[in-house]
Amino acid sequence: MTKSFNPPGRTMQRRDFLKAAGATVAVAALPAAVRAAEPVKVLLWSWVPDLQLEVDQFNAAHPGIKVELVNAGQGNPEYQAVRAGLKAGSGLPDVVQIEYQLMETFRQVDAFADIGQYANAHKGEFPPGLWAQVSKGDVVNGMPQDFGPMAMLYHKDIFDKYGITPPTTWAEYAEAGKKIHAADPNVFITDAPFGANADWVLGLLWPMGWKPVSRDGDKLVININDKIAKGFAAYWQDLINAGVVETKPGFNNEWYTGLDSGRYATWLAAGWGPLFLTSVAKTSVGKWRAADLPQWDKSKFATGAWGGSALAVMKTTQHLPEAAEVAIWLNTDPAPTKLYTTKQNFFPCTNALLSSPEWAGAKPEFFGGQEVNKVFAKSAAAVSTFEWSPFQDFLYQSMADEFGASIGGKGTLSDAFDRIQDAVVTYAKDQGFTVA
Amino acid sequence: MMSATPDIATFDAATRRPGERRRSRIILTLLLSLFLIYSFVPLIYLVLSSTKTNGDLFATFGFGLGTEFNLWQNLSDLLTRDNGIFMRWMFNSVVYSTAAGLGAAIFATAAGYAFAKFKFVGRKPLFALVLGAVMIPQTALVVPIFLLLALSGLSDNPLGVILPSMISPIGVYLMRVYIEQAVDDELLDAARIDGAGELVIFRAIVLRLVAPGMVTVALLSFVGTWNNYFLPLIVLRSQDYQPITVGLATWYQLAQQGGGGGQVLFSIIITGALVSIIPVIAAFLLLQRFWQGGLTAGSIK
Amino acid sequence: MSNSPAATKRPGRSGGFASRKLAPYLFLTPFVLLFIAFIVAPLVYAFYMSLYRDTLVGGRHFAGAASYIKVTGDAKFWGGVWNLVLFGVVQVPIMLGLALLFAIVLDRGQVYAKGLFRLGFFLPYAVPSVIATIIWGYLYGPNFGPFTQIAKALSIPPPDFLSPGAMIFSLANMVTWEYAGYNMVIYYAALKAIPSDLAEASRIDGASSWQFARLIQLPLLWPAILLTIIFSINGTLQLFNEPYLMRSLASNTINSSYTPNLYAYSLATQGQQYGYAAAVSFVLGIVIAGASYIFTLITNRRRPGQ
Repeated sequence: MTKSFNPPGRTMQRRDFLKAAGATVAVAALPAAVRAAEPVKVLLWSWVPDLQLEVDQFNAAHPGIKVELVNAGQGNPEYQAVRAGLKAGSGLPDVVQIEYQLMETFRQVDAFADIGQYANAHKGEFPPGLWAQVSKGDVVNGMPQDFGPMAMLYHKDIFDKYGITPPTTWAEYAEAGKKIHAADPNVFITDAPFGANADWVLGLLWPMGWKPVSRDGDKLVININDKIAKGFAAYWQDLINAGVVETKPGFNNEWYTGLDSGRYATWLAAGWGPLFLTSVAKTSVGKWRAADLPQWDKSKFATGAWGGSALAVMKTTQHLPEAAEVAIWLNTDPAPTKLYTTKQNFFPCTNALLSSPEWAGAKPEFFGGQEVNKVFAKSAAAVSTFEWSPFQDFLYQSMADEFGASIGGKGTLSDAFDRIQDAVVTYAKDQGFTVA
Repeated sequence: MMSATPDIATFDAATRRPGERRRSRIILTLLLSLFLIYSFVPLIYLVLSSTKTNGDLFATFGFGLGTEFNLWQNLSDLLTRDNGIFMRWMFNSVVYSTAAGLGAAIFATAAGYAFAKFKFVGRKPLFALVLGAVMIPQTALVVPIFLLLALSGLSDNPLGVILPSMISPIGVYLMRVYIEQAVDDELLDAARIDGAGELVIFRAIVLRLVAPGMVTVALLSFVGTWNNYFLPLIVLRSQDYQPITVGLATWYQLAQQGGGGGQVLFSIIITGALVSIIPVIAAFLLLQRFWQGGLTAGSIK
Repeated sequence: MSNSPAATKRPGRSGGFASRKLAPYLFLTPFVLLFIAFIVAPLVYAFYMSLYRDTLVGGRHFAGAASYIKVTGDAKFWGGVWNLVLFGVVQVPIMLGLALLFAIVLDRGQVYAKGLFRLGFFLPYAVPSVIATIIWGYLYGPNFGPFTQIAKALSIPPPDFLSPGAMIFSLANMVTWEYAGYNMVIYYAALKAIPSDLAEASRIDGASSWQFARLIQLPLLWPAILLTIIFSINGTLQLFNEPYLMRSLASNTINSSYTPNLYAYSLATQGQQYGYAAAVSFVLGIVIAGASYIFTLITNRRRPGQ
């Protein structure tokens, strides 16, 4: 571990000491027989590739706890397993990987334990917008593992060719788009995958203060087609109508080639975007740069996030302190968190890493030597709070269906928001919620 | 099996002139070749793409060659990814499909034998019920199967895939027809008169006579289980138990989502897809003789 | 004549421990047990589930036939069924027609390299639909897929396989590719089973080879054709894998209720509405059974005295 990476030595030592002292006291309090007993087994479900490396680090540092790592599927399949386990009352892990966007949905079915007593000490180590994703007040359900604050990646070569400076507002963005497309009809300012990547759409609505489904006491307030959404819809509909953006689905062969070849001049991407782009776009090395996400209001810099997950502790766990320790250590200790950024290419969550010279100061050749990560770190600090719905998968499905339908010709994006509002209100009432 | 039935050829010989015959042969061959090309096109794409690097996959012509021959590297990436889970998936598929194939063949033959050669109460309605089972939509069965397995503690257990795959209503139908044709009642009666037990008769006489049909049923179940996606998707949890279809689809969806990990897997997925179809194709080639004969009798009725 | 080598003489043990009367039940047992465990039991459980509703707030309550009534009025469900009817009407006749044509041609031997054709046509069946969908997804790529590249090279407008108007055909193409060979093999085997003297007799009577095909082969082939049609109807109405995997490539066209099975899956996994999903599956099963039954009735009436 390099020196430049250790967090301030004093805090570390003190925390270590406290941990050791606490452990000694705890151990001393145990009856002799138990003290000599087997390490506590903690079952962790995660789909992160090669997480075993970090788990091995944990096991080495915690002789009394043994983490067993199981990959129960990525995203949806794992969530099905969790739901089935909750129904059956058995077969659940102690610690489970959950995307931030689904945490409220699982809180609705009371899936999580409250690890606030252990975790709140670490609150200051994370950007506030991110901490708000795993907690509600003092109640903490999980620890952030990776993150996706949004910024704009753009083709410098294209911007230079048409004499465009990176837009800082959405109005400028639209201007740039029209200018580029008028000059070359085969180039679009970006691809806007409304029908395919609803989470991308949500990431852009996020900083606008959109509150699609929020709680008011024990009522649900559903405000999907409010002024914010309509303004957003009008903006993008304008771009679509002008032919300035395409609306093809993202993350497939076609789309990667589009980014690489310069068919799409920008990508409104998340923190994991740069590394991702580097591995897919082979011929445009050196042509890309990063800039802040365009803003609606220059005086209030705000960004949203796209993707990212936490390690949450299940309510059914028999070993709450150990499970909490697993979730906490794996996401706060310098060793595993640093490894995430190099091995798994995660975007860092801890302030320590975000400001570390090594990570922030990286100058990848792909981005022409620009310190790309600094742009995203700035975005990370500016991620506002967002409240997820207690039935996020349904909301996403409705968004995907209705946006897709509008793109396919059934009305405008604005109409789509209306349809989503209706669908969600019907669903919520059907599911027994009191809708305000 | 390869030459035309002499009768039809006689037909042509009697009704056409030699030149006309050769010309129509060529035309028909060309016509069929078009369809053959159509059948092969995606597979050719698969083979060519397996030799390309990730970058080339996106940048070069789909049916052309890449800038470098990367097949060995792709294979190596494929086999080492995630601690060699790909081989584990292949192993799972082989085990599940073989077990299902064997089980399906034996159980379907036994059941088909019962339907073909015995009269018993409820024979007709039971057979209709068995055939009707083919029409049940997957989703109606898979989720309840999963829930039932979870309740009985068998979730995330390979048996949850193997056992249901051993049910082959088509197999029962085929074997019933086959046995009706291929096994003489007199042979059975004679054996009974000689004092042979029913099980002995089944094992010694019936099984021997219907081997090609059994191979057909085994092969159909093998392929059906190998290609099955939905059942293992729902019923199995751990990556370690998954068959190749679910495994590759998982990587495919991972590559699509991009969030978080940002792993790009396309060349691995393509190469994996190529490797995954080799065993089934090999099975078909090796067992050609059997399944073509088995389908013959089974499809008469 | 008891010349069978394995018929051992066992005095005093006539029938062995499995008597003739019990034998059929014995032979049926393994199959039936599995059948009950994995088909009957889940169906019963699914039916039970369809009578209840699970809500996020309030848990589970009895709903009786409410879910079924809801399905009959559910535009998404019937929209999905309609999609598949359109799909089936186009795809099934083409696929089976081609399969039949090729089977007859191959049976006649009027081509070179018959073995190669038989094997080659059947090969796509060996490819799992998941893999087939992935491959065709690449081939269909509207901007950079190989067909588009060829079209651009020839300066003709590239086809958009994934647009709403073309999706049904693109899916139909995939399914035809996967299963035409399989059906062809079934027909071919059935053709081979036709007694050879029939051909000889027809020739003597002066029939042409096409008359022979139409008047003798086709009628004898009818049971096989009927079987494949019923299986095709069944497969069509249950379509899931292909649209499910294509969804990420054509999200503007394929939504969560594009086919009934997809709808049931979305209901269960995205909406947590297990009871309603079960009801949807049951109604789909009834629709499939109904369609097959009606089809059999129609064709029986057209072919009296078979």
